Amino acid sequence: MAAHPWTPRWRGKRVSPLPYLLILPTLAFVVLFTIYPTFQVIRSSQVYYHPNRPDRTRESDLNLPGVAVESRSIRGPHDVGLAYFRAMFDPTTEEGTIFFRVLGNTLVYAAVTVSASMALAFLFAMLVNRAAKWIGLARIALFYPTMLPMVSAATIWLFFFTPDYGLFNSALQVFGYTGPQNWVINKDLALGSLMIVAIWKDAGYLMIFYLAGMQNLPSEIYEAADLDGASWWVKTIRITLPLLRRTTLFVSVVAIISAFQNIDHALVLTYQLVSGEADLLLYEIYKQRFVLQNYGFANALTVVMILLLLVFTLSNFFLSERSTEARA
Amino acid sequence: MKNRRLIIVFVTFALLLTLGVVQAQDATVVQIFFPIAVDSPVTEILNGYAEAYEAEHSGVDIQWSFEGGYADVKNRLLTVKEGGGDLPALAIMLATDIYDLVNAEAVQSWDAFASDEYLADFTPTWLSNSYYDYDGDGTGELYGLPFQRSTVLLYYNADLLDEAGLSVPANWDELASAAQALTTDAREGILIPNSWPYWVFQPFAAGAGQNIVSESDVDVFFDNEGVISALQYWVDLYQVYGATPDGVQDNWGDAPGLFADGAAAMIVHSSGSLRSILSNADFTVGVSGVPGKDGGSYTVTGGGNLYLVAGIDDATAQAAWDFVQWLTEPAQTVDWSIQTGYYNTRDSGFELDAWKEYAEANPQVDESRAMLDSAVREFSVQSLGDVRNVLHTQILAVLNGETDPAAAMAAAQEGADAILAIFK
Repeated sequence: MAAHPWTPRWRGKRVSPLPYLLILPTLAFVVLFTIYPTFQVIRSSQVYYHPNRPDRTRESDLNLPGVAVESRSIRGPHDVGLAYFRAMFDPTTEEGTIFFRVLGNTLVYAAVTVSASMALAFLFAMLVNRAAKWIGLARIALFYPTMLPMVSAATIWLFFFTPDYGLFNSALQVFGYTGPQNWVINKDLALGSLMIVAIWKDAGYLMIFYLAGMQNLPSEIYEAADLDGASWWVKTIRITLPLLRRTTLFVSVVAIISAFQNIDHALVLTYQLVSGEADLLLYEIYKQRFVLQNYGFANALTVVMILLLLVFTLSNFFLSERSTEARA
Repeated sequence: MKNRRLIIVFVTFALLLTLGVVQAQDATVVQIFFPIAVDSPVTEILNGYAEAYEAEHSGVDIQWSFEGGYADVKNRLLTVKEGGGDLPALAIMLATDIYDLVNAEAVQSWDAFASDEYLADFTPTWLSNSYYDYDGDGTGELYGLPFQRSTVLLYYNADLLDEAGLSVPANWDELASAAQALTTDAREGILIPNSWPYWVFQPFAAGAGQNIVSESDVDVFFDNEGVISALQYWVDLYQVYGATPDGVQDNWGDAPGLFADGAAAMIVHSSGSLRSILSNADFTVGVSGVPGKDGGSYTVTGGGNLYLVAGIDDATAQAAWDFVQWLTEPAQTVDWSIQTGYYNTRDSGFELDAWKEYAEANPQVDESRAMLDSAVREFSVQSLGDVRNVLHTQILAVLNGETDPAAAMAAAQEGADAILAIFK
């Protein structure tokens, strides 16, 4: 073995510094733009700070544990430790009410949009996974919503949702719908309208992964199934779906993460519903931080969001590792 | 040989670079954060002003920085202030954001610069959201200088009113019955975009005897007989008269076009839409204030002010003030008004020939100017975002048919008082 000019030892083994040097630039960026901000957010989530308030002292009922009564400024900054997290998990507080509502909204939103857009994506992929004359056109049509920026898509849907003469309401009326026409500024329908737009937008994108997966499936298996006289349904359920297990896993992780990161359509469609019935986690963070200027709470929500995404990412990592081992 | 050529190129570049830096340092840079909030070529107009000013005044470099909407400008400024970066010298931000901005110490007072004579020429109503007693000495300091200002107007299709033999509505009853009479299958009697309601709501509340705010930064008037009746009137317009679409109308952007196309006989909208309506409508456009419950005409101020950013050096602040003085000279405020549809904010501007010609060709602008005497102060209090959310939540609940106006305004008052209690 040709010796490197400089090979340090660690626990008696030779260690080549080259790989570490090579990842250094990437590492520097990760530290600067991911790790450092994460610690910063954790630190800031323990600070009471309302920069839009004057620096006046009040002894009143602010949620400021550990801050001496006579030095309580309504502006801050005050170090309050984990007070925001305690408040968030106590439904009787204002923060708790907001947190549980937003968490509920986000989970419903993620569950519905992810399952619906994945089911549609699978269906679309089945539809266009064949050789036909104009199949390219069909694929483009299904993929098209993905190419639109979310803000444009939401703006288009805003027209669809228009009361009375909007396309969406007109179509529903044909089917006998007589409910409320106002979709985006109505506490019962706003979250649903966000989900409709997200499903419409995401299904085509996820279809691409399923389509790629299906085109890689071995055709012999289908030929064997045909010889056994398996129906289309049996082939789909018993062959296609199980073989696309890993694609499904990957797609679900992508879809869940994007469901947590969606915010653009809320800024266009439902931002006027200020009572918060349609607020998603990331939108609430924006609202607390920039509209209401409640820094500590916004940062505490961010910490929760980071933790949630970390759980999803890690579980995906371990799940996909395990399934690789199972197959090997 | 090759090396020498390289060195020459390098030295030339270095020299040019130094020259550029020296030149850049020569001029005082006045950077201005500016929101695009109106449908006119604002960037061209403003760059023209900068060129005109720099031609007259050497040593100043005016740089407009277009940041998106009003919210983007405010967020950008606060982010730069908190997180570091080059602060602009000036920013155009909502007049109503004064408390948020001053409390965050993002802006500083104009008191050191603006004299009483200078201020006296501004139409007084534009200064109603400009003062805030932040230092608590009993008198308010001046933070916002009027620049990009508008009001709420009632636009009516004068031809349709004529055909129906109706006069211009002078009170709520006349407004409702005119809207009802002009409603057809293809046309709404009146459109009141109310999905972001406080601004268009204020003239109605004031017309019933009570603006929702006073001069104070900690008092709101929601649970008030007049305010409740104004909200009830909005409901009546569709429930009783069938003269406007049911419930929430999310049509702020569409309404001027619908009006100009004849799909709505009347709309309540910003004065900033006057230009586009006049250029698109093929009928006689009438404008007035919103009629009061028992007569009178009401409107509310709106739009953005010039703020002087805090934390900039004295030379930059002085250069910014010099430019602001020039920018708010009547010649410029009139030109700005003619080109964008915002109000001319200087009284002496109305005496200029340019204005007189413009007003002769567009009599509507004199109508809209006449209403300034009855303009009430725009909704602005401490913790504006929170308090406005409380009000909007309740108004939308009424429009969505979930509650009635009296209960809604009582709840809004309770919620707002709870938020504002810590400031009292």
